[in-house]
Amino acid sequence: MSDPAPLSQTTENYDNMTAAEFEERLPDLFQAGGGKVTEDPRFAVFLERNPDCAALVRDLEAIAAAAVDLFQPAEEDEGPPEPAWGSLITKEPDEAIE
Amino acid sequence: MSSMMLEAQQGMQTKPNPGLFKRNPPIAGEAEAIERAKEGDPDAFSKLYALHKRRVYTLCLRMLGNVSEAEDMTQEAFLHLFRKLGSFRGESAFSTWLHRLTVNLVLMHLRKKGLNLVSLEETINPSEDDAPKRDFGSRDNQLAGSVDRVTLERAVSSLPPGYRMVFVLHDVEGFEHNEIASMLECSTGNSKSQLHKARLKLRELLRNPEQLAVPASGKEGV
Repeated sequence: MSDPAPLSQTTENYDNMTAAEFEERLPDLFQAGGGKVTEDPRFAVFLERNPDCAALVRDLEAIAAAAVDLFQPAEEDEGPPEPAWGSLITKEPDEAIE
Repeated sequence: MSSMMLEAQQGMQTKPNPGLFKRNPPIAGEAEAIERAKEGDPDAFSKLYALHKRRVYTLCLRMLGNVSEAEDMTQEAFLHLFRKLGSFRGESAFSTWLHRLTVNLVLMHLRKKGLNLVSLEETINPSEDDAPKRDFGSRDNQLAGSVDRVTLERAVSSLPPGYRMVFVLHDVEGFEHNEIASMLECSTGNSKSQLHKARLKLRELLRNPEQLAVPASGKEGV
């Protein structure tokens, strides 16, 4: 069986999609919608009719949004110990890498 | 030139992702420090280290899940930076370039540890036990709006290594699926699928916090 067409390239009606179909297409759906499935009007009716699916999507979007904040280390996050820098500047780079 | 260095250089030459400039705005004094460090100024290099060591270390720690290995790889990344800084042309944000270099070094390290004979396509797929459960779960315990940083960090640490790798590279570091596929030597579809499973697993972990790992202590790892 061939893969379904990417959602970004389809105009089909998703209102009557089953939960299983929704789950199968969810990775592509996130990709096509730029990670904002809840804001995509094509899925509004489906999500309203399927509150479990809507809850899942909201949770996954919340996780992805929170992950962006992990990019910057927290103030209290420890860095590498300072002695690592001391050995960096005293080693000849060729000698250290090869 | 060793194959390790050659691979790292190839990794650094991947097409830059303009989107990462948004997440990596220029840091005050960084451009000047880069230029001076290229000319061999140790103080300038020291400044670059001070500016970026925590993010590089955090990236290594998230990918490796092991404190001592993360410290070693951070040092390795800056050694490589020291040597290769002259080839940085500003086509991407400096931190993007440095993080890509770091990711490639960590991946080489993992392959040298035992993944060298098998492509990551096969090894990043966790066992069935580690896979997220295939149900939507109850709505009673909804997460939206309540994912705090510390809990998410612990949940990410609890992910199976393959899921953790793709999640960190995509959702935290901002790499695109095609870039991840290139780095992990897997297909774009596999990267997309692993990311989705990682998010599902995270949801499961966040709804059941008793399953969460304690912060990395040096005893965990890939």
